[in-house]
Amino acid sequence: MHEFSMTERLIEAVLHEAEKRGAKRVVEVRLSIGKLMFLGLEQVKFAYATLVRGTILEGSKLMIEEEKGIVRCEACGYEGGIQYVDDPAYHISFPTLRCPRCGDIVSIVAGRECMVRGVKLVV
Amino acid sequence: MYTRRTVKAELGEIYDVELEADLLQANRNIAEENEELLRKHGVTAIDVMGSTGSGKTTLIEGLVERLKERYRVTVFDGDLTTTIDSDLIAMHGVEVVQINTGRGCHLDANLVRKALQSIDFKGVDILLIENVGNLICPADFPLGSEKRIVVISVTEGPYTVVKHPFMFIDADVVVINKMDLAEAMGVDVQKLEEDVHTVNPGARVVRTNCRSGLGLEEVVKALGL
Repeated sequence: MHEFSMTERLIEAVLHEAEKRGAKRVVEVRLSIGKLMFLGLEQVKFAYATLVRGTILEGSKLMIEEEKGIVRCEACGYEGGIQYVDDPAYHISFPTLRCPRCGDIVSIVAGRECMVRGVKLVV
Repeated sequence: MYTRRTVKAELGEIYDVELEADLLQANRNIAEENEELLRKHGVTAIDVMGSTGSGKTTLIEGLVERLKERYRVTVFDGDLTTTIDSDLIAMHGVEVVQINTGRGCHLDANLVRKALQSIDFKGVDILLIENVGNLICPADFPLGSEKRIVVISVTEGPYTVVKHPFMFIDADVVVINKMDLAEAMGVDVQKLEEDVHTVNPGARVVRTNCRSGLGLEEVVKALGL
């Protein structure tokens, strides 16, 4: 839903880094998007292609990595991917915060972030 | 004596830089500051989120009526451009700050911070923050509240929870409103409740008719107030 505003923030963060190093051009940007975030990857790529025009990021490659949703159970120490439950009535899977090992409630420790991991700059 | 070496990149050389720039960190930082400020002044802040027309404002009106005898209540109301909701709430005799997002589809921590700067903390025990009607975006933008209520209603049909699971993951209390219309809508409220508990076993579900007041005492208890 916020692909454009998130991509604007992404470009700002990259430009800031490029400026710090006096870079002339950006060749590649590596972004990781948490699987539990509401961002459509196609829309992010589209927003990126649109918003980099006329900047030193024009022509650069955007590499997106999806970060898995990881949960942790304080009760039994389980740590692993967020579990999905199949609903036979609606033929869909949806996430659950129930620990697959002990049934207690887990907390989400990864998968809700949108991080710029790195950039390749031409000086 | 030491030798300091300088390695210079030649023009045209490619630098591979590792960053760990979290694009949502700015909002998270402000949310944490808000939380700290509220805690310092003994204010319990409660998010009220839900879809458009689910009954958030009516719920708040009902909660305000039941809480204002025992607590000093202030309300922040988030909406695009109107003051419709805050006008309704203000009629109950509590301070309301309208936060207009313009065209933004959710409140963010910065807007809440601005609203916090406009009130006197010494006069507040409970702060209710009504978010813009939306079951998607607010989930990614914490505001610094202590608890969260999510309001849905039977008139949205039976699939609300399974279609928007991440909104319910952070909910402390889930209100299923408009129970007076459940039969007419043919919605299986028990299944809706089960869906909430499948996603978030820790959430307390309360069935309400906010217009008549049914269930509101239970909501107050569920919030621990």
